[in-house]
Amino acid sequence: MLGRGVKRKRSCLEELEVEVLPDGARKPDRKQDGGEDREEEAAASLLQQRQVVLGLCLKKLQDDQAGVELSLRRSVLLANTLRQIQEEMWRDRTRGPDRLDPDSCLVRDGFREDVSVTCPGCAEDGCCDAVSPDAPSQDPNGPSDQQKPPPAPAGSTLSDSATGYLSDLALDDIFEDIDTSMYETSDLPWSCGGGALWPLGVSLWPEENLKPPSLSSGGGLQSCLMDLNDLDYIIEILVKS
Amino acid sequence: MAGPGGDMQWCFSQVKGAIDDDVAEADIISTVEFNHTGELLATGDKGGRVVIFQQEIENKNQPQFRSEYNVYSTFQSHEPEFDYLKSLEIEEKINKIRWLPQKNAAQFLLSTNDKTIKLWKISERDKRPEGYNLKEDDGRYKDPNSITSLQVPVLIPMDLMVEASPRRVFANAHTYHINSVSVNSDNETYLSADDLRVNLWHLEITDRSFNIVDIKPANMEELTEVITASEFHPHQCNTLVYSSSKGTIRLCDMRASALCDKHSKLFEEPENPSNRSFFSEIISSISDVKFSHNGRYMMTRDYLSVKIWDLNMENRPVETYQVHEYLRSKLCSLYENDCIFDKFECCWNGNDSVVMTGSYNNFFRMFDRGHRRDITLEASRENSKPMQVLKPRKVCTGGKRKKDEISVDSLDFNKKILHTAWHPQDNIIAVATTNNLYIFQDKVN
Repeated sequence: MLGRGVKRKRSCLEELEVEVLPDGARKPDRKQDGGEDREEEAAASLLQQRQVVLGLCLKKLQDDQAGVELSLRRSVLLANTLRQIQEEMWRDRTRGPDRLDPDSCLVRDGFREDVSVTCPGCAEDGCCDAVSPDAPSQDPNGPSDQQKPPPAPAGSTLSDSATGYLSDLALDDIFEDIDTSMYETSDLPWSCGGGALWPLGVSLWPEENLKPPSLSSGGGLQSCLMDLNDLDYIIEILVKS
Repeated sequence: MAGPGGDMQWCFSQVKGAIDDDVAEADIISTVEFNHTGELLATGDKGGRVVIFQQEIENKNQPQFRSEYNVYSTFQSHEPEFDYLKSLEIEEKINKIRWLPQKNAAQFLLSTNDKTIKLWKISERDKRPEGYNLKEDDGRYKDPNSITSLQVPVLIPMDLMVEASPRRVFANAHTYHINSVSVNSDNETYLSADDLRVNLWHLEITDRSFNIVDIKPANMEELTEVITASEFHPHQCNTLVYSSSKGTIRLCDMRASALCDKHSKLFEEPENPSNRSFFSEIISSISDVKFSHNGRYMMTRDYLSVKIWDLNMENRPVETYQVHEYLRSKLCSLYENDCIFDKFECCWNGNDSVVMTGSYNNFFRMFDRGHRRDITLEASRENSKPMQVLKPRKVCTGGKRKKDEISVDSLDFNKKILHTAWHPQDNIIAVATTNNLYIFQDKVN
């Protein structure tokens, strides 16, 4: 198995399951007074759950790549979950244009070969448009298969709580679940392809890659590695600003 | 179901398989299927073996009628293979077994692993020839010079021998893993489905098959949906359905075009927005689809529920049964330990009045459609005294746990019942735990 795996506490998961609501859901017994606090709490724990799920998703996809035989159904479901989280994070970020959300914008950019990593701030639309989410699932049979975004709470509330969440947490915690050690080895079974799936800019369907991983794909891989090494440096800059 | 008024009371009948808790991986049961009369019960396992049990028909006139299933035939259906091109091992695990309707003295079944389908002939031999002119009885050839007269060989009785022989091998038609096999009502063709394609075969022809459904996108990076199950209609030989990982079922008519990429009907229930979560799509993925025997309905199984669809109504199911709704709040843990990807099967009883499916902790559930009742039963060695009536089980979802209830946190998620089968005519069910096959029957009074 590549990498260190996801760091999380078991109690964290259990806690999440007790407290966290499904996306967009509301507790029926929410009272008006103190309701805002509860909303912020719920949004924060929702973000926390999203982080946990994101980490698990990445870990599972990583494990699937590590020589174990792929179940296509499982890979597709994991990839779709990842895409859903990516879209949500992007949507959250666009609600708060004046504050940087390193989760969505920076990390995403860090994995792309062709976009400069020096993302000065999320106010720069070009940066974020370049990583717009994939087109909805290819399905000629109608829009019913598209993933519908969850109903969003009031924009200002969410962005406030999102930024509040960010300032409260040490940045290390945000990236805790993102395992970068898999890029540190030289024996990788897959080739680094286009960035259809963030943050893994790799092909998830190695069955389709008829040529074995070769040096010709090394250029892209090297660039991924470089970008990741720059990541820490960029974070420092942003924190100071 | 248990209760007065002639309702069913399920009793333990038999259990097959090893007793130890240490489960050998090869012994894990991967499919269970009754034949069309219910006389034969086939199981497939992870080791590529097929075991067929035969019902001993005891005297049905006796009040304590009890039909026992005993081993009839065992054979190695598939062996592990290696795909050298992709450097991947091809598992020998039997994914599905489907019986052909009986045409003569022999029985035929289709068994499949991830890549190859095989047609097996199971035949009985209870006589052997004796008195050959050129061979001795032990098989050695006679010296031709010693033969002075001709004799006619005679058939003499012998102990029953059941032979299984592979009659056809249908290979090299699937790039992805086969999840379904279904024999057509025309008794000449059958379909096999993998993650992205459905192929149509003729039972006599092994070197070609027709692709009738193909959902593979031109760019695999755009893949977001796979085929999870497929079945032919029980009476209409032109109609088939296939289900997807996004919770949709498509009904196709082969008369419309050679390639059935355009469905005739699309069955999909709109999502309940209050239930939406990160796991919504995963739990909506359909793990099994089965037509009712009368061909009017179909049943689908997703992670938390069983749905009955009227083939004439596409926008929502006519009935929905919650299998283990108490797991909805545990989805994160179940995602972490991969249980959320478990594929449960479901089945109808003979007259389509009751449906059954498995759950965790070796529980299985039955839903009586007519009486709007459901019951949870357990397959365990503790309840395996002969003819012991099974006690209904209950999962405590919160608050005070009553006596005999089990709390959600105490459920054993390693004990899962994925495969169940119902006798086509009688109230006899076969329920597969990890490596044991339980047979239960309705108590006859």
